Amino acid sequence: MASVFSPPGFDFSNQLRNNFMAQKGLPLPKATSTGTTIVGCLFDGGIVLGADTRATEGPIVADKNCEKIHYITESIRCCGAGTAADTEFTTALISSNMELHGLTTGRKPRVVTAMTMLKQMLFRYQGQVGAALVLGGVDSTGPHLFTIAPHGSTDKLPYVTMGSGSLAAMAVFESGWKANMSREAALQLVKDAIAAGIFNDLGSGSNIDACIITASHTEMLRNVEMPNQRVEKERQYGFRRGTTAWKTENVRSLIVNEEITLLGGGDEMDTT
Amino acid sequence: MSIMDQNGGSVIAMVGKDCVAIASDLRLGNQALGVSSNFQKIFPVTDRIYLGLPGLATDVTTLKERFRFRVNMYTIKEEREIEPETFAHLVSSTLYEHRFGPYFCEPVMAGLSKTPSGGYKPFIAATDLIGCLNFAKDFVVAGTASEKLFGVAEGLWEPDLEPEDLFETISQTLMNAVDRDAYSGWGCVVHVLTKDKVITRTLKGRMD
Amino acid sequence: MAVQFTDGVVVGADSRTTMGSYIANRVTDKLTHVHDRVYCCRSGSAADTQAVADIVHQHLQLYSQVSGAPPPVHTAASIFQKLCYENKDALSAGIIVAGWDKEVGPSVYNIPLGGGLFRQPWAIGGSGSTYVYGYCDATYKEGCGRDETVNFVKNTLALAMSRDGSSGGVIRMCVITEEGVERLFVPGNELPQFWQGSEVLPNPKGKAVPEPQVVPMVVE
Repeated sequence: MASVFSPPGFDFSNQLRNNFMAQKGLPLPKATSTGTTIVGCLFDGGIVLGADTRATEGPIVADKNCEKIHYITESIRCCGAGTAADTEFTTALISSNMELHGLTTGRKPRVVTAMTMLKQMLFRYQGQVGAALVLGGVDSTGPHLFTIAPHGSTDKLPYVTMGSGSLAAMAVFESGWKANMSREAALQLVKDAIAAGIFNDLGSGSNIDACIITASHTEMLRNVEMPNQRVEKERQYGFRRGTTAWKTENVRSLIVNEEITLLGGGDEMDTT
Repeated sequence: MSIMDQNGGSVIAMVGKDCVAIASDLRLGNQALGVSSNFQKIFPVTDRIYLGLPGLATDVTTLKERFRFRVNMYTIKEEREIEPETFAHLVSSTLYEHRFGPYFCEPVMAGLSKTPSGGYKPFIAATDLIGCLNFAKDFVVAGTASEKLFGVAEGLWEPDLEPEDLFETISQTLMNAVDRDAYSGWGCVVHVLTKDKVITRTLKGRMD
Repeated sequence: MAVQFTDGVVVGADSRTTMGSYIANRVTDKLTHVHDRVYCCRSGSAADTQAVADIVHQHLQLYSQVSGAPPPVHTAASIFQKLCYENKDALSAGIIVAGWDKEVGPSVYNIPLGGGLFRQPWAIGGSGSTYVYGYCDATYKEGCGRDETVNFVKNTLALAMSRDGSSGGVIRMCVITEEGVERLFVPGNELPQFWQGSEVLPNPKGKAVPEPQVVPMVVE
């Protein structure tokens, strides 16, 4: 440990070594990515966000039920696609900054504020921070829905999709979206769009998460639909105890032994 | 051939009934050449948190020390032991700090977290090399045999296993997976954490 | 595209944003407000041009607060040019700045890829512009009125959109004059129509075209 103090921000100390190893022909390993379907949809007086719950590492499903709808503020949420760690940490950072912003201004922070913070951060990293986001929320100026691409470009639309399943989900929106939809109709459309991603895109899968944001209330619907539940095994594989042969055993007891020794008859002190 | 596969090694953690288990192989290699059959990849962090670090051996050692340092600093500042959930976030942010020059390690954590009623709740987690957390309810795997471990664990794991049954399940899962991985093996070690004791066993298995 | 006329300027753009072959946004607004009477048309990387436009917008707000008067179009264009030139290696941004100011009236500035700055009576940019240079050269006249200029912009964009795969959607236009900014919108199904093509070989005289044989597909 060279120094106890570490400045905030990224640490590039391993880069020289890693570039050397990359030059020797060892490719950088893949980070967990969320080959994802995430969507957002505007309705009469609010926003519905939707996401699938699969996280992948190359062709391997790393997490079958992860959460992709991240908290920004009580009435602003953000769906993340792309490099999983990047979406997790960028949204956490912006959420933290939004809380501080709200405290310093004494007002409820707006969706455009979160959008601007996110786009400026992603633009600064020139696409190296691989986060593709769908940002939605309601503030004093009404409901707003944005997409933010990894390079920092933004779009404002009444219905949006992102991630590898965005084409499948957009097909559902383009055929089913209507202006001024009801809350129920919008939620159903979002569920259909995510289902299209889950079943038609290999990078997306498992369950549907949704989040309904209105001016007065935010409802997080974790696993609203679980179309891919595995049936319970009919019989069990449990091994009989003693199946595995072992060579050495070490048992570390975590019980702190305490012995109370009474001195005398136990009535030396009168506590009455 | 990835940098992650240079030294080989695999780790798995599983949840049981009021207990958790974490197990790893003991191989240290230089590509296909076996170097050591007693390379520990699992380290105790507190009495009730164990951390597995499969990946590039130099980073395994560096990270082990780094986490020891940061956990000690936490304990001194907070005047209490770190909880598994907190430790998982410490691991995650340490790795993400190195987002653009990562440590080639995919940590696996197993622990028992205190509940408000004074009991203990099983906890497992894993992250990728840049710190993306994965809180699973059943099992987590990492290392060169991760693909095989995923497959075997998916078939063998079942809910609410007692410590002794969990030991059998995790041992069989690990041994059968590493036997089909050229870069893992050369002995296995299993830790089963219960509320009052930690059982550590080294397994009898193939050494090729 | 932006065109100068007697009392103001007309800026116009299509509405397509693409990511590879996928249309990420079919109703984009590429006409970006940078001040009350200054707009810009963005082409190239969406992220780069949005970031640059946001920075210029901030500069101009500060300028108008400090000087107490709206900035001249040339000032806005110069800030764009400075950013585009100094970061030419990192940016892919082709920007047209247009607007009205009390010093020179209407003006159009073109800032192409390398970060040059050129005042022009009319300017076109972006992937579709190469298809319509000839049309603009042949059609543009000095001293036009508002309606004539709006039609010129609309026709030029419609021609570019029909030939260029990366352009399309709807036409958005802004008429910027001393009085204010008027937004115009042409939906995708109401675009000006031009020659749509026809069969190269005409049918043999008097002979009816034989009906194509339709064989129903067998469904098991």
